[in-house]
Amino acid sequence: MCCISSFYVFVTWSQIFTKPPCAFILFAYFFKIFFYFSGVGCNSVEKKIYVHLNYTFPCVRLLNATHQIGCQSSLSGNVGVLHELESEENLDWVLTSGPNPPYMVILESRLFTRSIMMKLKEGSGRVAGVVVVAPNINPPEGFSPHTACPNDNSGVYTENYDPTLAHCNATVWNPLGNGLAYEEFDFPIFSVKDDNDTRVIRQCYQDHNRRVNGSNPQFPLCAMQLRSSMSAVTNTATCKRRNDINFSLTPDRVCDELGDFNIWASSRPMNTTTKGHKEFESVVIAAARMDSRSFFFDIAPGAESTASGIVTLLAAAHALRRATQEAPPNRTILYTFFQGETFDYIGSSRMVYDMENNQFPLDLDNIHSVLEVSQVGLHSDSKLWLHSDPVSRKNSSVKEEVEKLVNGLKSASAGLNVSVDEPDVSQPLPPSSFQRFLLARPIPGVVIGNYRSSFTNRYYESMYDNAEYLNVSYPENMTSEEQLEHFPETVKTLTEVATLVARALYVQAGGNETQLANITADPQIVNQMLYSFLVRANNSWLQQLVPTDFTNHLADRPTNFYVGVIQYFSEPTTLVQYMLANMTGSVVNVTQEDCQKQREDKDDDQSKHLYTYMWVQGAAPPNSTEREGFCVRSTVHRSIAVSPAFELHEYTTSNYSTWTESVWKPITGRIFLVASHDLEQLRPDFFFFFFFISVRLTVSLKILID
Amino acid sequence: MNLERLPNEEKLGLCRKYYLIGFAFLPFLWLVNVVWFFQEAFIKPAYSEQLQIKSYVKRSALGLLVWVTVLTTWITIFQRFRAEWGEVGDYISFTIPLGTP
Repeated sequence: MCCISSFYVFVTWSQIFTKPPCAFILFAYFFKIFFYFSGVGCNSVEKKIYVHLNYTFPCVRLLNATHQIGCQSSLSGNVGVLHELESEENLDWVLTSGPNPPYMVILESRLFTRSIMMKLKEGSGRVAGVVVVAPNINPPEGFSPHTACPNDNSGVYTENYDPTLAHCNATVWNPLGNGLAYEEFDFPIFSVKDDNDTRVIRQCYQDHNRRVNGSNPQFPLCAMQLRSSMSAVTNTATCKRRNDINFSLTPDRVCDELGDFNIWASSRPMNTTTKGHKEFESVVIAAARMDSRSFFFDIAPGAESTASGIVTLLAAAHALRRATQEAPPNRTILYTFFQGETFDYIGSSRMVYDMENNQFPLDLDNIHSVLEVSQVGLHSDSKLWLHSDPVSRKNSSVKEEVEKLVNGLKSASAGLNVSVDEPDVSQPLPPSSFQRFLLARPIPGVVIGNYRSSFTNRYYESMYDNAEYLNVSYPENMTSEEQLEHFPETVKTLTEVATLVARALYVQAGGNETQLANITADPQIVNQMLYSFLVRANNSWLQQLVPTDFTNHLADRPTNFYVGVIQYFSEPTTLVQYMLANMTGSVVNVTQEDCQKQREDKDDDQSKHLYTYMWVQGAAPPNSTEREGFCVRSTVHRSIAVSPAFELHEYTTSNYSTWTESVWKPITGRIFLVASHDLEQLRPDFFFFFFFISVRLTVSLKILID
Repeated sequence: MNLERLPNEEKLGLCRKYYLIGFAFLPFLWLVNVVWFFQEAFIKPAYSEQLQIKSYVKRSALGLLVWVTVLTTWITIFQRFRAEWGEVGDYISFTIPLGTP
């Protein structure tokens, strides 16, 4: 401000002294040099004013056919005076009595509850944003930001199907669900880890903002600016329409649809190039879901809700490899991992749609039955529950098949440390991908979970559903190698479950019961997979299974199971793809060039219809550092998991998922000191005063000279 | 251009020209006409062409008033209701704000 006003004075004065002109040029040079010095000085001045927050996770806006959920900030960021909330009663300071609104509220995780957030939502004029400090240990009472009845409107239980079972009338699956993740907030909500950044924030608050002896805190106060400006509004139809407008002056992308790929593999190779119904092919689908979410963007550890199911099914596929090759059962087993199930069954609805429209190598008439592995991680009593659909069981043939499947599971559990049981016959299916198949056909099927009538998972779809919750912990001082040798307790229980699932699948597919004793899951594999998903993907075991150019995508932190937009690949999809190839495929002696061209030798053009070939980097032999790669031949394929609503361009439909994620401007957070409004007003006042004085002087001088 | 140095016939010609061309959806020409010739039409002592200049200025002022009313009404309605018009609102907009309806 000062340099601009002094520049103006220089210019006005120099206009008066237009002869000699060199005086003006001289002034201009001095001014330029002065400006350059202050320009160079500006950079380090910025560092003295602002402290940037490094590891923040924002809450972002998601839209579907009818609503928008999530958080929004103003275009340049919301600024508010920091306030650490001590208790729910302390909200009064923020909402009514505090003298310096708007406030940026800092919450400990124990205060991140529905009642406090709803109150903050109402007082939106005085609340500039919320910062949640993520604790290092999980809150003991449980926390689930998902709804109490997950995927309520996208499953099979609607008023038409059975009104007594719709909308969780029979049983509430997620009783701890507070629905926060599906509310709309018009201020930003960020999550910060309890580390150095948070210490700086707390120190700033203690130094400047605390009330001392009952008197109000004086300026300058510590303030925070959070920027998470979302471009999309209202609903998916609106934002997709605004994406496509091409005569606007500024065509901006405003939203992207959620989606990724499903991964599937068959126990017996089949021609994947011919789509539609396959004669004489009867398939047992073994399903699990691959995604999770939390209130904040890009945090989704999903240990119990997702990883337990994936690891169990992968281990079962591995256990079945030899049996399905040496004594193949009548029916083919199709191992399917669906992506995007959290958001109204994106993956499974797309697979069903593809099957109905002859876009998939099989069709719905080829499906014999479905066995889905839901949350199976924790056992308080080592009991698993077999859920089935009561409405389709009214049909006698379906009922017979379901009972056969249940009996197969029960007999497979004999001799294992897990026991299985059925819940109440009138109880509906829990939220599961199998519901989308039922929506199309009355197929017999069972969903396995460790819960009877409501989830035992206290942190369903939250950032606390992590390795610690599953009691998967590895001693800190071990190297990655040693950690892979150490087996937590959960590994043993999951191995038992995987053996159960494998044996039941084999029997269901028509296999010989005498082979069952040979089918056992390997705890080493289960341990390695759990470690890769819940602790660190960048470990020595997984590095051997992936191609060389994928190794820098392996993260050094727990896997993020969020499905994300279709433009960005989702972490678990490729991990599951390579793991499944290793579990169900075989090593073939093929050159790297042939392997990458999907053929066994130069003249082979049939194998690519049946198999997928991957060149993986393998391990380095003991006396060398070069890895020896090899070719894995498997039946693993990817099928696109984008909601059919986007294929059909029906963005207001209620039949399919319509979830999209908003596009946003760069997300930043920083803290700084603010002065009182009076002081801030003083500077422009001073500038205008100075300006008018110099104009007046110039005019009167001009008149004098004239 | 300094009007004082022009002969009266040229002043009248200028005023008429601005008045006529303003009909081509150019209300600012009428605004210029009113502001520029106001002193000539109403303040100066009478001269032969002043009556016609006065009528042109009055008609320009009337046209200007009509334009201002129409534009203000349309702009108010558009700004207030564009969000509710959904698809129609988006198709008649050049720039759609991000993040707010």
